[in-house]
Amino acid sequence: MIRDSDDVIVKTLARLLMPFIVGFALYVLMHGHHSPGGGFQGGVILAAGFVLLCVSFGLQWTQRWMTRKTAELFSSIGVFIYGGIGVLCLILGGNYLDYGRLSRVLGVDVAEARSLGILGVEIGVALAVMAVMCTLFFMIFTAVDESGGQGGEQ
Amino acid sequence: MTTFFLFIGIAMCVLVLLCLYRATMGPNVLNRTAGISAIGTKTLIILLIMGIVYDRIDMFVDISMVYALLNFIGCLVLAKYLERSREVSC
Amino acid sequence: MLVKDVISIVFMLVGLFFFTTATLGLLRLPDFYARLHATGKGDTLAVFISLLGVAVYHGFSLVSVKVVFIAVFMFLAQPTSTHAISRAAFRCGVRPWTLEDGENSQHEGAKR
Repeated sequence: MIRDSDDVIVKTLARLLMPFIVGFALYVLMHGHHSPGGGFQGGVILAAGFVLLCVSFGLQWTQRWMTRKTAELFSSIGVFIYGGIGVLCLILGGNYLDYGRLSRVLGVDVAEARSLGILGVEIGVALAVMAVMCTLFFMIFTAVDESGGQGGEQ
Repeated sequence: MTTFFLFIGIAMCVLVLLCLYRATMGPNVLNRTAGISAIGTKTLIILLIMGIVYDRIDMFVDISMVYALLNFIGCLVLAKYLERSREVSC
Repeated sequence: MLVKDVISIVFMLVGLFFFTTATLGLLRLPDFYARLHATGKGDTLAVFISLLGVAVYHGFSLVSVKVVFIAVFMFLAQPTSTHAISRAAFRCGVRPWTLEDGENSQHEGAKR
């Protein structure tokens, strides 16, 4: 179990940097068409910001917002968004993930519907990656506690 | 001008190799952490220089920003993990 | 050769000099705290100066704004990570190198 750190410097910097990290993650997510990035990278940066909060403020403080169950729910929602958009394209008469068919639902022309479809899929991927990364972090940092070994007093 | 940046990048790579000595042969795990942090800082500059040499700096600047962020968070997590551990020999 | 190229060359060379100094300190200094002191200060200044050199070379655009943002971020983050690592070392009980250790044996401190 990661206890609350008594380190004022790290806490202050985490509080200061967190909005910029989330903003940068959203930039990487949205701007994935023109620069390196996309759903996976945006999700990883979001999870890194979450790990920063976990390290500086302790696991118990962080789990008021994100518990194991919430992380599992978010990963399921991400996969559902990805598959839902694909199946929606399938229902509208195209192939799986054929975004051009979404233009009828969204009310825009085909090129913009493709762009919006890719953005929706990437948001789903980002949610799933962030939740799975948080789950992995929780599992790694609570497994030391349960074994009762040397790191038990950490 | 590109040639100058190329030579700066090569010099930086030599410095990374020197830091790699501390990161592999360091007496304990804290020394290794310090060496890895120094390597990450130099890699940030090497990425930007690669962007200048390939003339695609608008792409590489995002990568180096992510690299700086992950290097910082990795150092903090390692420091938190090693705090009060008895495995570090004095 | 333009003026901004000259300024950029000077900045990059000064940054390379500070990087070399920090690396020599990391390799040669006797104990952990001294090594961390060398990289913590030298690398921070070297990154700042090198990033300013890249920003000056590229001129004023979105890229140079991002580069300056990285410089500010590194200026905040590098001392913080150095502080966190040295605090962890202090909690682990790593003793600083003193002059008596140096008199007993020349290379004793390198074991820390």
